[in-house]
Amino acid sequence: MARGEGRLTDIGARRRRRARRALTTPGLLGLPVAWLAVFFLVPIGIVAAYSIDALAIFPGKHPITLDGWRELLHSGIYLGLFWKSVKMSLIVSAIVVLLAYPLAYYLALSGTKRKYVLLLILIAPFLTSYLLRVLAWKVILGSQGVVNSFLFWTGLRSPDHPIEQLLYSRFAVMLVLAYIWLPFVALPIFVSLENLDMRLLEAASDLGATRWQAFLRVTLPLSAPGAAAAFLFIFIPTVGEFVTPSLVGGTSGYMYGNQISDLFGTGFPDWRTGSVLALFLLAVIASFTLVFSRFTRTSQVVG
Amino acid sequence: MDVAVSPNGKRLLRALFVLVVVFLYAPIAILVLFSFNNSVLPTFPLSGFTLGWYRQFIHDSDLRGALETSALVAVLSSIGAVVLGTLASLALARRRFHGKAAASALLLSPLVIPYLVFGIALLLLFHTFGVQRSVLTVVIGHIVISLPYTILVLVPRLQQIGVDLEEAAYDLGAGPFSTFRLIVFPLILPAVVSAFLIALTTSFDEYAVASFVVGTRITFPIYLYAALRFPSRLPEVIAVAVVVITVSLLVVIGAEIGRRRVERRIGALDPV
Repeated sequence: MARGEGRLTDIGARRRRRARRALTTPGLLGLPVAWLAVFFLVPIGIVAAYSIDALAIFPGKHPITLDGWRELLHSGIYLGLFWKSVKMSLIVSAIVVLLAYPLAYYLALSGTKRKYVLLLILIAPFLTSYLLRVLAWKVILGSQGVVNSFLFWTGLRSPDHPIEQLLYSRFAVMLVLAYIWLPFVALPIFVSLENLDMRLLEAASDLGATRWQAFLRVTLPLSAPGAAAAFLFIFIPTVGEFVTPSLVGGTSGYMYGNQISDLFGTGFPDWRTGSVLALFLLAVIASFTLVFSRFTRTSQVVG
Repeated sequence: MDVAVSPNGKRLLRALFVLVVVFLYAPIAILVLFSFNNSVLPTFPLSGFTLGWYRQFIHDSDLRGALETSALVAVLSSIGAVVLGTLASLALARRRFHGKAAASALLLSPLVIPYLVFGIALLLLFHTFGVQRSVLTVVIGHIVISLPYTILVLVPRLQQIGVDLEEAAYDLGAGPFSTFRLIVFPLILPAVVSAFLIALTTSFDEYAVASFVVGTRITFPIYLYAALRFPSRLPEVIAVAVVVITVSLLVVIGAEIGRRRVERRIGALDPV
């Protein structure tokens, strides 16, 4: 008995000693949290201040006003542009996820040898330069570009009539965005399929399910969170995209993000309207993220 | 019987995989092709072989300056992100505390902000407090966007190695710093290197945030974006593109192979 007690206090002392020796939690978290507070949260607060004229480009006395927000809600231009960008981004995200899903399925579940090597081959382009991959499509799609000059060369099309809509169009923006994000989404889908318990599929098959039934009722629901995460991972950066459309979009590929960046440009800066548009975008994405995370969490519980 | 996919389905999926890989690599291959083409316009038919574009960019001092600035920004911001990320990961993986969910949500939140919005927010911050835009302001921004990636790499590794060895070290009288230096750090080193490389490539390639907070010393993506608007500089830029893409592919693949090898060796020593 006495011996047992001795061991207990021994453990308690040990735990206390460990706690004293280890760095304190605030000591570990302080610096990273402070960094994000100062360089992430405060800046967003400042954007909010600009959006209501509490701060302005030209210092001086300004009354606080919601005019910027009123303008956004009443002007069809900004909301129309926003809706156009959301549509483009949703289409790109959907296409990319639908295309990446079978690839991830192939790598994770078909018993392919060297699946990690193949996965790396698929993902590697994502880790090379973003701008340079956009450049590649500029070279390919231009009116004097690879596609058109190839058509002229082979005589399929006369040099006087190149296919003009290839570059500087909504199509070009969506093609390039899909090209850029495709390798990236394969990863979360692959991970969710890789974690799938194969015994569930075997059980389904033993119980008489066909492969399609097993896929629809077992694999698909269990991998849906991964696919949803992948969808969100593309939607967030593409809906606020401004680099790709400014390089390959022309006027018809002009997106909401271009509008925001132009309002902060050197031409006719309007930081109040720009701040309103930026915060609106952020709010929409934040609510999207919340809905998605709720959705994925419940399906994980069910799984 | 294979329960996940029929033999025909597998063939079909393999064909799709090959098609997508071709789609992903063909544009890069076309860049390589035209980087050796003896013409200002990237058009068919190819007009002849030249190394001139590569020679031209090696002697381009603006370009070299931009590459050097980007390298500096990438190294500084990666060191910053890895240090902050390691501290945060130790707290998230090893401690129980109130507000942990909130802390981890804050630490990962830069993942879900469009870089455009973050770039603008930083611009307004520096403007409001009268901070001159410079290399340092870009480094600050890049630390913020790389930090969540380092945490995503480091926390799983810390959870994987478990706390037994650390507790043993404490019991044997080691302090927190020597425990970290002698036990934890060597075990998470492969993940630290991965995190560093992810931060490095993120920063080196980052345009959106940098475009708002860059000073007079421009980074490589800023240079590239400007150059893309002048068709006459296209071939030179294509040559640079080929070099950068090749180097980054080699770094990525080399790092992945290295990480596997090291983790396998450490894995053999793991007390699991």
